Amino acid sequence: MKLVLFGDDYKLGVLQGENVIDVSQITQDIRYFSPQEMMNIIIGNFDKYRSLIEAITSNGGGTPRSQLRLRAPLPEPPRLVCMAGNYMESGTRTEAGAISAFNKSSSSVIGDGDTVILPDAPATVFEHEAELGIVIGKKATQVKAADAFSHIFGYLNFVDVSCRGIGRPGADNFFIGKSWHTFGPMGPALVTSDEVAEPQNLPIRLWVQGELRQDYNTSDMAHKIPAMIEWVTSITTLEPGDVIACGTNHRGLGPLQDGDVMEIEIADFGKMTNSVTDSQKRVWVRETHAQKEEREAKEAAGR
Amino acid sequence: MRLVLYGDEYKLGVLKNGAVVDATAVANDIPHNTPQQLMSKLIADFDKYRSQLEQLSASGQGIPSDQARLRAPLPRPPRLVCMAGNYMENGTLSQPNPISAFNKSSSTIIGDGDVITIPASNARIYDHEAELAIIIGKTADRVSEENAYDYIFGYSNIVDVSHRGKTDDGNRHNFFNGKSPDTFGPLGPSIVTADEVADPQNLPVKLWVQGDLRQDYNTNDMGHSIKKTIAWISWITTLQPGDVVACGTNHRGLGPLQNGDKMEIEVANFGKLTNTVVDAQKRSWPRETRTQQQARQS
Repeated sequence: MKLVLFGDDYKLGVLQGENVIDVSQITQDIRYFSPQEMMNIIIGNFDKYRSLIEAITSNGGGTPRSQLRLRAPLPEPPRLVCMAGNYMESGTRTEAGAISAFNKSSSSVIGDGDTVILPDAPATVFEHEAELGIVIGKKATQVKAADAFSHIFGYLNFVDVSCRGIGRPGADNFFIGKSWHTFGPMGPALVTSDEVAEPQNLPIRLWVQGELRQDYNTSDMAHKIPAMIEWVTSITTLEPGDVIACGTNHRGLGPLQDGDVMEIEIADFGKMTNSVTDSQKRVWVRETHAQKEEREAKEAAGR
Repeated sequence: MRLVLYGDEYKLGVLKNGAVVDATAVANDIPHNTPQQLMSKLIADFDKYRSQLEQLSASGQGIPSDQARLRAPLPRPPRLVCMAGNYMENGTLSQPNPISAFNKSSSTIIGDGDVITIPASNARIYDHEAELAIIIGKTADRVSEENAYDYIFGYSNIVDVSHRGKTDDGNRHNFFNGKSPDTFGPLGPSIVTADEVADPQNLPVKLWVQGDLRQDYNTNDMGHSIKKTIAWISWITTLQPGDVVACGTNHRGLGPLQNGDKMEIEVANFGKLTNTVVDAQKRSWPRETRTQQQARQS
């Protein structure tokens, strides 16, 4: 099942193909004060809500997705933990880096169709990091790797937009590097885990201006999902509706700049599209890390 | 006014002369599912509730605060942003460090009387960092320095418990595993409303371990002022009523926490927040501050 939130009032829906079926009637009995809290309650009690939702969606129908404004399916997760440097980088690394993470501000989250706004900060570059987002399904504290998957409710597309070359030299600069307004595009849907047979074997693709930039598989992950959940929950307790972003393969990272259209899709999760604005209209070379390495190696060889 | 949450049900109370006056009558007017929501909404609409709280406080008897279990006044702030390296360190720095911060997990928050649990790992040391906590009063998005104080609802004591050095999985030190372990965020005992704090940039901050004064510094030593801190953070990320900004610490008085320790913090006259420390591994470190260690080693 692909859960979505849509419209000005963040109604609950289900994405079937390109149609959204309104299932918001099941939320009428829920006492909540934000769309995030509504989702937390549905996720935490999904055994109860699944059949109610399926009773509505089994008849099909719905409204074309293109006619609706989809919102981030988790607009303000209380905890948004992002893994740092968690891929083997397509064979360019011989061993996994030390496991590492940071908390990204929940104020960074935006949804499908929303705009990534590059701030007036003196960063050297702003980059896209396409990532698998894991949505926690039940309270997770001191979880063992063997029990990790039972704590996962579902998955989603996530872009950890990042800025570089800013902050205190030599220090952990994840706050100013990662927590900016609009730097957390998420969606379009929250895909329940029963639809994802092999989370450790999912293609992740990200395009900028129609050009494929990132194209990697979660099989390249350095610290796999069970180890990651064990480690994160050995430190901090997670609750239903919290998100862990699994990190990215950096080979395909590249700059985002004013006017760009960015799209991400993991497996068949549905595409999420975001545009980019930059009031300063800064410009960078349109190339990935891997392309830059290749270009610089050629330039060095030709000298 | 001093706002508290207390008891198993996180009831709303007003602290008055060492007694907790029940303010459930006000809380009943604020629909909520969690105590954090109650406080965030109370803070956002405080103009509406202030006089009622003052009346309750004036007429209520209250129960002695040592007979009420005080909870963290903000048990799960959606955003808990902590400043890093934000003091001039009693003249040992010639200029402020570049401004820097991190997000601490809201799962770290504990209240007065709660236990700090040191996790199993071989971190080099676990330190206390006594800090002034700022409680945000309204949505703060790209706030200017000159307007920064308009966005502050009040203040509290917070200890940014921190671990340093390598852990048993070979991880390099960073702010996530260094700062976000469960129980590493003692906060309270109350929220002191801003009208009670005449000069937030001139407050003594004291922390004791086993009765020994470890940290004793003043917020006038801050590297980046409160105004600048609020402007800078809200330039990056939006804060909401009930969010917390911790102002960073003066590191000169940092020292180890270990099994059985009793730690107390008090900023100005905010009331003492007391926590105990448990470490299943019962590790021990020399009981000295960084300044004392430097003096001994030299």
